[in-house]
Amino acid sequence: MTEENFEKFVKESAQSYNAPPARVPRDEMWNAIQAQRAAGPRVVYGGGLRLSGVSPRRFHAKVWLGAAAAAMLLVATGVGIGRWTASTAPRAAGTQTIGAVIVPPPEKVAAVATPDAGLSSQQSAVQSTAAAVERSSTGDVRSGGQRVSNGSSLTNGGEGRVATIAGQDSRAPTSAYQLTTVRYLSEAEALLTSFRARNPADQQMDAQLGAWARQLLTNTRLLLDSPVGNDPHRRPLLEDLELVLVQIVQQSPGTAPQDRELIEKTLQQEHVLTRLRTAIPAGAQHGS
Amino acid sequence: MELAAYESRTSVNDIQLITRVVAGDAAAERELYETYVDRIYRLAFRLAGDDELARDFTQATFIRAFEKIGSFRGDSSLSTWLHSIGVSVALNGLRKTKRQRNREAPMEEGISIGASRIEAEPDLKERMARAIDGLAEKYRMVFVMHDVEGYTHEEISGALNIPIGTSKSHLFQARSKLRVALADFAPEWVS
Repeated sequence: MTEENFEKFVKESAQSYNAPPARVPRDEMWNAIQAQRAAGPRVVYGGGLRLSGVSPRRFHAKVWLGAAAAAMLLVATGVGIGRWTASTAPRAAGTQTIGAVIVPPPEKVAAVATPDAGLSSQQSAVQSTAAAVERSSTGDVRSGGQRVSNGSSLTNGGEGRVATIAGQDSRAPTSAYQLTTVRYLSEAEALLTSFRARNPADQQMDAQLGAWARQLLTNTRLLLDSPVGNDPHRRPLLEDLELVLVQIVQQSPGTAPQDRELIEKTLQQEHVLTRLRTAIPAGAQHGS
Repeated sequence: MELAAYESRTSVNDIQLITRVVAGDAAAERELYETYVDRIYRLAFRLAGDDELARDFTQATFIRAFEKIGSFRGDSSLSTWLHSIGVSVALNGLRKTKRQRNREAPMEEGISIGASRIEAEPDLKERMARAIDGLAEKYRMVFVMHDVEGYTHEEISGALNIPIGTSKSHLFQARSKLRVALADFAPEWVS
């Protein structure tokens, strides 16, 4: 009996709990529904939908705040992507250039590293050549077992010398170009060292060097036309290398010794090899 | 609120009404709306205690229903299906409201959100409201639907997607907690 009384008491008393108005605003809500459906759906309260054209509700501030934050985030992301894309567009072109850089085949290096003459100076040069080619083919620049990153500053661990590659000049090319350039310069160093250490009587060696120089010449032109060519420190070196490579390409088994001396003179006068080794941010050629 | 009338109209017109609404009959949409809007709105108001929220929930319920009615499979009555949408919308909205009001509590503290509260002693009315508000959501839902709005356990079961036994259990729990909370008024029901 008490339970029944309590149930009755609760039901009667609870009628005052959140008592709705006698009149249900049917028409107002119907008009709002129609307006919202005409305007298109909008998420509301997680599970329901609401549309524009409705009088402001207490949730609107929160909804709009979230929408504004999302819009700002979207715009910021778009701007960021745009800038990133704009800055990487030349890099993408440069990546294709990277693919054009030709690494000499090992047999060619082996051929270069097998001079007929047994002079100690030539052997030393060949070892230097092989080391340079190895560095260029692996893409890693190591010195004394210490890996040197291809970042803005590359360290010559052997001598404590630091060669800054990027970041100093606004015209400095991207790291991808820097990597390509380092590999190219290493190859060029290997070629020129081999050229200087060759046996003048070995015509087959001259032919191989000519073919190698022709490949490097193509890459030289590509690099000169790339952002690397805008680097005030790199461009003169590349231009001098281009000249020397042209001379090496033009030589033939019947080339007069005077022509070869011209090449040597160019290398010496312009300090091409010295500048080349300085430009390569590693000390592998110096031994370790 | 005549529940029998609702049930009768629903059972007779459900299929035809749904078919017409799916076909894009605007008059059928209005008819469906007129049939159920009062009950949906009243329940929303009971749960929200706020006219604006109740309107929002009701509108969202019907908008969602019109969009989804093509997928209505008839596993339950149209009334149950509509109420399940309404309850879902209301609960989601109330959870967000609660989070927002918790942040605004210092300013709104002490301000009643109820609209028109009638009858009952001021003290009893206030105590009852606080006691119901203090119930867990699942108990409050069942209590409001059953003891306040007169839904059957079958309807509650369908709307809340819970077994009938669970609905009865929740109601028992709700009443037990209210009995404790309203112990001061025991003479009212003991006598």
